Amino acid sequence: MSSAAEAQSIPEIGVRFLRGVRTAVDGGLDPLSAAEAASAELPKPLRDGAERMARRLRGDYHEDEWGFDEEFAEGAYPFFELLYDRWWRVEAAGVANVPAHGRAMLVGNHSGSLFPFDASMITGAIMKEHALPRWPRFMVLDWAFSLPFLSAFMRKVGGVPASPHNALRILAGDGLMMVFPEGVKGTGKPFAERYRLQRFGRGGFVEVALRTGSPIVPIAVVGGEEIYPKIADGRLLARAIGAPYVPITPTFPWLGLLGLVPLPSRWRIEFCEPVVLDGLGPEAADDRQLVFEISEQVRETIQRKLYENLVKRGPAFV
Amino acid sequence: MAGRRILIAGIGTHWGTELARRLERDPAVEQVLGIDTTPPSASLGRTELIEADIRNPLLARLLPSTGADTLVHAGILWYPEPGKPKRVLHDINVIGTLQLLAACERMPTLERVVIRGSAAIYGCEPTGPSFFTESMAADYPLRTRFQRDIGELEGYFENFARRHGRLTCCMLRFQPEIGPGLDAPLARYLSLPAVPTQLGFDPRLQLLHAEDATGALLAATMRPVRGAVNVAPSGSISLARALRLIGRPQLPVPHPLFGPALARLGDRLGAGSLYGDAVRLLRYGRGVDNARLRNELGYEPRFDAVAAIRDFAAADRGLRLVAAPRVATVLERLAGSAR
Repeated sequence: MSSAAEAQSIPEIGVRFLRGVRTAVDGGLDPLSAAEAASAELPKPLRDGAERMARRLRGDYHEDEWGFDEEFAEGAYPFFELLYDRWWRVEAAGVANVPAHGRAMLVGNHSGSLFPFDASMITGAIMKEHALPRWPRFMVLDWAFSLPFLSAFMRKVGGVPASPHNALRILAGDGLMMVFPEGVKGTGKPFAERYRLQRFGRGGFVEVALRTGSPIVPIAVVGGEEIYPKIADGRLLARAIGAPYVPITPTFPWLGLLGLVPLPSRWRIEFCEPVVLDGLGPEAADDRQLVFEISEQVRETIQRKLYENLVKRGPAFV
Repeated sequence: MAGRRILIAGIGTHWGTELARRLERDPAVEQVLGIDTTPPSASLGRTELIEADIRNPLLARLLPSTGADTLVHAGILWYPEPGKPKRVLHDINVIGTLQLLAACERMPTLERVVIRGSAAIYGCEPTGPSFFTESMAADYPLRTRFQRDIGELEGYFENFARRHGRLTCCMLRFQPEIGPGLDAPLARYLSLPAVPTQLGFDPRLQLLHAEDATGALLAATMRPVRGAVNVAPSGSISLARALRLIGRPQLPVPHPLFGPALARLGDRLGAGSLYGDAVRLLRYGRGVDNARLRNELGYEPRFDAVAAIRDFAAADRGLRLVAAPRVATVLERLAGSAR
């Protein structure tokens, strides 16, 4: 019976279901009971979906203390998987450098002016290619958390407001913390400066890693710079809406919503050898010189790997 | 050692009364005294009531005669109440506390001062820490009237604590409370037939179960620690999930209209005016770290953020909008998994 149901097309299933409801209503049942009786006709995945949705509507699902909703993230995952496989044809290398257990800080270069997809693609690489995948948490520019819809979405898929206190807490709980030390300077740089790493803040990420004894995994992401090439900056508009910058790309805002479609560049993501800081102890975080040295070391690793992977990738769009 | 003599300012509030009830049952407590202008919210046994206003200068002469070793100030108001309208809240909260602290200086028997304050001092910010610890109180500007009042009285209290090093001064920063039977504006809001929310925002909340609120206040009264302590459940819950657990449909309103809409709806449907930082709380939420409560004050909350909502939902008897079967019920019956 189940194989027969699978072979049917969607309209056929619908017709059979409605016919079942009709028969049951004619038999004297109320519409809801009739639908319940006829629902045996529905294929299993559909019934499972209905059950899951009912459970969620009752609030019977899990959120962690950050508001991360794993079921929601899994629901959004196929969209990002499509982008990963088909749109950007991401190739990931060295995923095994992400520890399978325990705390680790993932440090990447930041790109993608209009909407930085790099966090989602790094997450995709870990979830798809790692032997023991787990959801990383990522720091999100503060401004995004003051916006409707985006704030709620980011939180549910694992975003946390960019604050060292949040990074400390996630790492102390043995999580994977993804950070982009360049911040808006990385995403907001003009297209002409692509793949040139900006300043790594004040090295705050190293301090957090030292305090929590977390290894740092440098990540080089190639491909993100071409998705929304920023050719100019709408400074006045940015000031008016409080945004850090408003990118003007070849398609945005000229094509309206269509301009939000990212260009299909080819991506490469390389996870580098972890920088292990265990031996140093938390008090090393107060040593400014050491913090800057480690920060610079991580930055240089990422920059070198960016150039390597740019060569390996070849042309951006084919 | 003789038993403890505990003086509760603001005995007329729900929390003052609840604390007195617990203290009355404790044999280690020799005497419970309560000050307020209004009678306790429930009948009390051996508590001795003093009808006085904490803003009255005569208090300084009255208090030393009580011989109290502990003063608990439970009279800080988060919301206007009947007989205590919005415009006198500043007077009661700030000037009242100031007068009370001044009176404390004349009490030679006093050893401990505990104030029931608010986590509103951290504000509700889209940015920054998702779990504020006690040292982060001054990180953000104080935006609302209530926040400024709390900030001001915390300032006085800190100053007072510095000048009187022999006293153990403890400031409790409570997250908003919820509980079956607790009639607070936020509880009334969550019991509206359809709950207005801010379109596109889903704040993380920590609503403290009323039982834990009293439990923590009792723990702090018996064994206070110096400085501020956050009183909050562990974990957090999103407003959307909380409303689903309570079984209330959301009524999303564009966020600039939320404040006015709530004020109007609130007056008509009994949610009362959500004084303080409720509009920002219901937009950005707020989480605080409760490690100090658990480790130093030694109080382990019985309900985490989700359990507090579940308990509230279980006892909820508010008006429901839809008599028709809920969407979830329909879906469950279609899936053939109805309970």
